[in-house]
Amino acid sequence: MIVVRLGWRNLWRNSRRSLITIAGIAFAFAFTIALIGLGRGLVVQLLKNGTELMVGHVQIHDRDYLPDRDLYETIGNQAGCDWRQLIFRLKQNRQVVAVAPRVFGFGLVSTGDQSAGAQIIGVDPQAEGELSRLVDRNMLARLKPGSLLLGATLALELRAREGDEIAAVTQAADGTLGNELYRVQGIVKTGLAYLDRSVAFMRIDDLQRLLALEPTRIHEIAVRLQDPLIAPDSSREISRMTGLPEGVSVQSWRQLLPQLNDYLGLTGGANAFIIGLVVVFVSFGILNTMMMATFERIREIGMLNAFGMRPGLVLSTFLFEAFFLALLGLVVGFGLGALLMRYLSIYGLDLTQWTGQMTMLQTRVDPILKAVWNWDAVAGTAISLCVSTVVAAYLPARKAVRVDPVEALRAPVMQ
Amino acid sequence: MRKRRVSILLILLGIVIGSLPAQPSPQEAKEIIDRVDRMLRGDSSVGRVEMTVATRQWKRTTELRIWSEGTEKVLVRVEAPKKDQGTATLRVGDNIWNYLPKIDRVIRVPTSMMMASWMGSHFTNDDLVKDSRLIRDYDIRIEFEGARDGVNVYEFLLTPRPEAPVVWGKIVYLIRKSDLMPVWGKFYGEDGQLKRLATFSDYQTLDGRLVPTRMRMTPEDKAGEYTEMKYRDLDFDLKIPENIFSLNSLRGS
Repeated sequence: MIVVRLGWRNLWRNSRRSLITIAGIAFAFAFTIALIGLGRGLVVQLLKNGTELMVGHVQIHDRDYLPDRDLYETIGNQAGCDWRQLIFRLKQNRQVVAVAPRVFGFGLVSTGDQSAGAQIIGVDPQAEGELSRLVDRNMLARLKPGSLLLGATLALELRAREGDEIAAVTQAADGTLGNELYRVQGIVKTGLAYLDRSVAFMRIDDLQRLLALEPTRIHEIAVRLQDPLIAPDSSREISRMTGLPEGVSVQSWRQLLPQLNDYLGLTGGANAFIIGLVVVFVSFGILNTMMMATFERIREIGMLNAFGMRPGLVLSTFLFEAFFLALLGLVVGFGLGALLMRYLSIYGLDLTQWTGQMTMLQTRVDPILKAVWNWDAVAGTAISLCVSTVVAAYLPARKAVRVDPVEALRAPVMQ
Repeated sequence: MRKRRVSILLILLGIVIGSLPAQPSPQEAKEIIDRVDRMLRGDSSVGRVEMTVATRQWKRTTELRIWSEGTEKVLVRVEAPKKDQGTATLRVGDNIWNYLPKIDRVIRVPTSMMMASWMGSHFTNDDLVKDSRLIRDYDIRIEFEGARDGVNVYEFLLTPRPEAPVVWGKIVYLIRKSDLMPVWGKFYGEDGQLKRLATFSDYQTLDGRLVPTRMRMTPEDKAGEYTEMKYRDLDFDLKIPENIFSLNSLRGS
């Protein structure tokens, strides 16, 4: 105990120096918190946009459906499944917010003179409106039987306007050429250039008829959860659900959006780098402080040695001094960081002066970046700072306590 | 979407090769193909073809009527089954139009869809457009000459010229020496992998010419799938009215 008290007291023998060091640690910690918070903010936003736009957090397909999106690989294979019942059961899960069924087809859309290839997505307008933000809910509600919504660029290419008649031609499941006329009910801007160029939406039953697929056959069920970060757990839970059709695969966005998942890994690496950098800088600060502290107390250490105090105990006083230094720095830094985070999470960091509307990893990014607490990284930083402080203090302290008492007592008096 | 291309006109190529008089003396490979090419250009034909498409999921046979003139103009109309009756494709130069009777619309196939399947077969729209450009795009030589499986054959090796806009890395053609009938054609990708196999059989005399009346195209990446064209009836060098190759005639009116 005496060691702890000595450590604490020594801290205040040169209070100005200690306070400067504490301030250094505090600022380093606070800015690390904010920087990591902004990084997490970007991840959360990418995740939100990436998943809420269209993908959802969990998807169910036939095992062989992705990545080729083969027309025949419907959920439950050739026979299909009672997907309405399945959706009803999925909604019983507490984590599940919305569930939407989908059918995908590829074909030609044409006004006669102008034709273009298109990805046709069959949706349930109500459910799709709850799950994705790709298309405005009111727009989806206009999707009546026998009508379709066209991507903005695609519509431009076809020179199609609302109310025009459009022919859709596709390779149907029975080998025939599926062809049908539809009325353009709306032109949609998804914000994603590649979709605007190629997408057409129609009702799920309309598309099933066009593709000659039985009403039981759909390609995808997308699920939206309350918390995207627990999606892997939820997808495991769903895949264990009884009554799931044969041969399905349940995947979370981590598998469905590998780039996003990679980016998440990347930010983890970047965080480690930032933390490492801060720790190194702080360590040198501590090293300097503790070198000064041991140097100016060389006489006193020599005296303690001469009294027969165990070198280990002397060493410990220095370690505790450093530890308190770090602790105080962290406490002040945390308070400062919390203030910064509060500001950044409410007002955000406005990047508009550097960028306009951003697209990243094929999703829209809001140029006003809002910070989000990343507790793991904050705790990691705190622990690393504590450890590195003590380590940095250990080196000069060990050298000091090994000093020969006679030599030490000859040293000039400081202070 | 099938991304292979082989000229549907290869059948015609085969037919015309077949229609050459027997040439027992070995000729320069290029000369043979060149002659075939020139003969093809002057040709016109009207035929009835039974097309069978087999995929893992379904198998369908449709009866087609085909009019062709030179290498630039083709009209194909489905005559049976009833469900597809009247569905038609017109190709003039690089353009393709499809007519769909159910919705009564003529639709021009955009460039972006040229690699898509033609009428559900393993041929692409692009295969229709590809005229006989073998002479221009490929260096042709006889790779092998002699007996194989007891038949005297020529094996032609076609390798693309450096600047030629083709998808095949090479084409190998086996042609019977006795009557210059094609036996098979193998189409390799740029990676050297076999992509398509075309086999010819049922050599018969139609309108006074010996032709292989059956051609089966097998895509190598889809086990068990094929498209087979069987000539029921073929007439050469008829005077085809010019308005056959028009959008009006495509609609069947």
